[in-house]
Amino acid sequence: MDSTKKELGLLAKAASEFAKKQLAPDREANDQYPFGPFFGSVLQKAFEVDFFHVLLPESMNGMNQGMSALSVVLESICQEDSSLGGIIFTTTAAQELILAAGSYSQLETISKAETISDFLIALPVFNNPSEVKHMVQYKKSGDDYVLSGNLDYVVLGGLAGHALIPANSPGSTKYAYFLVDLHQNGITKSEPVLSLGLHACPAVDIAMNNVKGVLIGEEHKGSECFQRMSDRMHAASASMSLGIMKGSFREALDYARKREQGGQTIINWSEVKMLLSNMAIKIANAEMILESACKSIDLKESRWEARSRAAALHIQDMASELTTDGIQVLGGVGYMKDFGQEKRFRDAKQVQSLLGITPVKKISFIENMI
Amino acid sequence: MITRKEIHSYLSREPQFDDITCSLKAISRQPKGIMNETKKVIAMARKFSDEVLRPYALEMDRTMQMTPDYLPWDLVKKANEWGFFTLWIPKIFGGHGYSIPTLSYFMEETGSVCLGLSNLICVHYLAVSTIFGSWNLKMINTICRYVAEGERTGIPCLLSTAITEPGAGTDVEDVELVDHANVACHAKKVDGGYLINGSKVFISSGHVSTWHMVICYTDLENPSSNMIILPVKTGTKGFSFGRVEHKMGVKICPASELVFDNCFVPDDWVLCGPEDGARTKRGAKGTNAQVLDYVLSSSRAGVGAWGAGAARGAFETALDFAMKTEVNGKLLVNHEWAQSMLAEMYKNVSIARLAYVESNYANGLYGMFKSIQVKPVYYYLKFLPKSLADKIAGPILNLYQSTWLFRKIHLDWQKDEEFHRTAGWGSLAKFSGTDLGMKNCHMALDMMGQAGLRHDHRAEKMFRDSKLLQIYEGTNQLNRLNMFKCMVARNYPQVKVFEKEQ
Repeated sequence: MDSTKKELGLLAKAASEFAKKQLAPDREANDQYPFGPFFGSVLQKAFEVDFFHVLLPESMNGMNQGMSALSVVLESICQEDSSLGGIIFTTTAAQELILAAGSYSQLETISKAETISDFLIALPVFNNPSEVKHMVQYKKSGDDYVLSGNLDYVVLGGLAGHALIPANSPGSTKYAYFLVDLHQNGITKSEPVLSLGLHACPAVDIAMNNVKGVLIGEEHKGSECFQRMSDRMHAASASMSLGIMKGSFREALDYARKREQGGQTIINWSEVKMLLSNMAIKIANAEMILESACKSIDLKESRWEARSRAAALHIQDMASELTTDGIQVLGGVGYMKDFGQEKRFRDAKQVQSLLGITPVKKISFIENMI
Repeated sequence: MITRKEIHSYLSREPQFDDITCSLKAISRQPKGIMNETKKVIAMARKFSDEVLRPYALEMDRTMQMTPDYLPWDLVKKANEWGFFTLWIPKIFGGHGYSIPTLSYFMEETGSVCLGLSNLICVHYLAVSTIFGSWNLKMINTICRYVAEGERTGIPCLLSTAITEPGAGTDVEDVELVDHANVACHAKKVDGGYLINGSKVFISSGHVSTWHMVICYTDLENPSSNMIILPVKTGTKGFSFGRVEHKMGVKICPASELVFDNCFVPDDWVLCGPEDGARTKRGAKGTNAQVLDYVLSSSRAGVGAWGAGAARGAFETALDFAMKTEVNGKLLVNHEWAQSMLAEMYKNVSIARLAYVESNYANGLYGMFKSIQVKPVYYYLKFLPKSLADKIAGPILNLYQSTWLFRKIHLDWQKDEEFHRTAGWGSLAKFSGTDLGMKNCHMALDMMGQAGLRHDHRAEKMFRDSKLLQIYEGTNQLNRLNMFKCMVARNYPQVKVFEKEQ
């Protein structure tokens, strides 16, 4: 156990140093609209240090680590800029979906990619496809599958070489996932969608007209794959929220120690202390909950799925509350782009919507129990 | 059964009868014409929202994200054409004379569609209330008539209020805090006027305003007793604009830095200063507190109305989405949990509205609007022909005696409990309305999931815009303390508010 802790500590340190050096200096610039070219070189470096390979099996050049490892990486990254966290999350979620479907060979091919673009996999990761009407339909054409229709908000759709697209057959409500080469003809992408947060983790709307797709897993089994991926990746989304919380708290504390109001540094006003204390308490609780959830996932303890989801739902609520207080501590400047708080406030809310509509996720949680 | 003395005694207990019955007391005294004005203003706001705000809001917000320094002159001109910069200025000062509480309804209506554009129009009235708070009738008449002239000529004349400084935000909103503040905007007395040096930041609509009501200090060591309000016109030597702040939201209304470098303001233009304060019953410090409270009690009710607008905009966007979107095979609006959330959001809008309306009633009874809502004055101002207002009222208003009389009524004759009541309700309306606005924005995004994150679905813009309301016009933290000071602590001598805690 000690050696695992040590390993995780080293991983956290590496991710933290990377984030401070590569992400923090250009956070404001990378957040600007219109988007791009984003941090292309940073992505390449993150790729080279295997931040996209944490959960991948060794046979696929992966680190073969567990959720605890992915969690410390995402948390450290998101303390500085959660957009890179969003890119890692999306690609890892896509990898997990393919693994959950048992389509190892497809993932093996992609995992050998030498460029980041070919390695990344786009996914509509803010959506649980079971919740919404499908706009993409597939039909079989010989041994191949052909997809047509529109899909909104495909994260990394403008950057990645491939996308995982949920689609159903005409007349069926059940769907399957298809791996689609985004370079092929018949695909039209919108400009990056202007959104609330994670600006450097862009999404596009995609229109498909008779494009080839490779079936991932079995027909009509997309929902089961999404559930399996989602059970695990909820904890990963919680770790992003925890990172944002820590970044917000750090900046608030730092500012409160320097800023004077009413003849004293504001940290000496007990109302500010109360705000900071509430932030610190939320973080301490989130750390405990997340660590426990990740351990449960890695050890496949009883009801690990519920713990993963509960951790995310609770921590993301806390992150939304905390980041609003993070702005309040800074007052007017907290609302300005010169500081990181307003971005964290937006990012925390964006992250809360990962993997589906929040109240629906809560309803599903109890439905899975009863 | 109960004696008159007992009634008086029981009603003086906390919560005091007068604190909790502003609306009850005000309704019987309110001129009936206000109801028709309110209807007209709400209808006008809805028409303006349909024709101008909705078509431009998202496009303009996107433009501002791409070009943060862009100044929305076209929208300022459009609002000027609609007459919105004079609509709530009394007729005797050249305006259209709509009753001021109707402005809050306008703010809720337009704020529910676009808080940025609504700010651009209505923050002008923060400056109007700053001028009125000085009760310097000559200067009120002078500056308001420039605004009216701007409407006539088609060259908008907006006003801004400049109070926040780089080193002092929350501190400058209360005289109890300002003596400990790092204020640096100095007004030095020179022959014939004052020289201003220093800078102001986060000044809403600064870059698009013609006149700026600059709150500065003649003695930086003792600012609470040496506050002075000086109007500065754009183009005056020694005055320049600094940067336009890059904000998260409310982007359409620029937040400006104003820089003063030996900027001269003549004595005749002083709205109110330490010498005026010294001539009043409460002295300079007490009067400065009153002037600030007059301004903030009305402006905070307005920010509360924006909070109601934000809450309503979020509710309406979520409802619209729920009506059109299927989730798990049926319309979102037909899920019981969604109905419950929408009900909660509707409740939040209503509570926010009740709070700002009550605050307006308090201001009508005891504060800024007191003298113009008395029935004879109201009807006199309403039916006074414009030509007579210009010919007769103008010269009277320019007399020193007019200013003296109004300062007597509004400053000396206002009781402590009256300005505590208006200030308390102003803060309550502000922090409750804006907290509820933010809460609804969270709920809208929660309900809408992925769609809510997209700029083209409006909810994310509301979420960004709404957050500012919890910060400006005093953070909600400051407003909670102010409400506590005004409504609770006043009866307990052992309670100290805003005291150093180290």
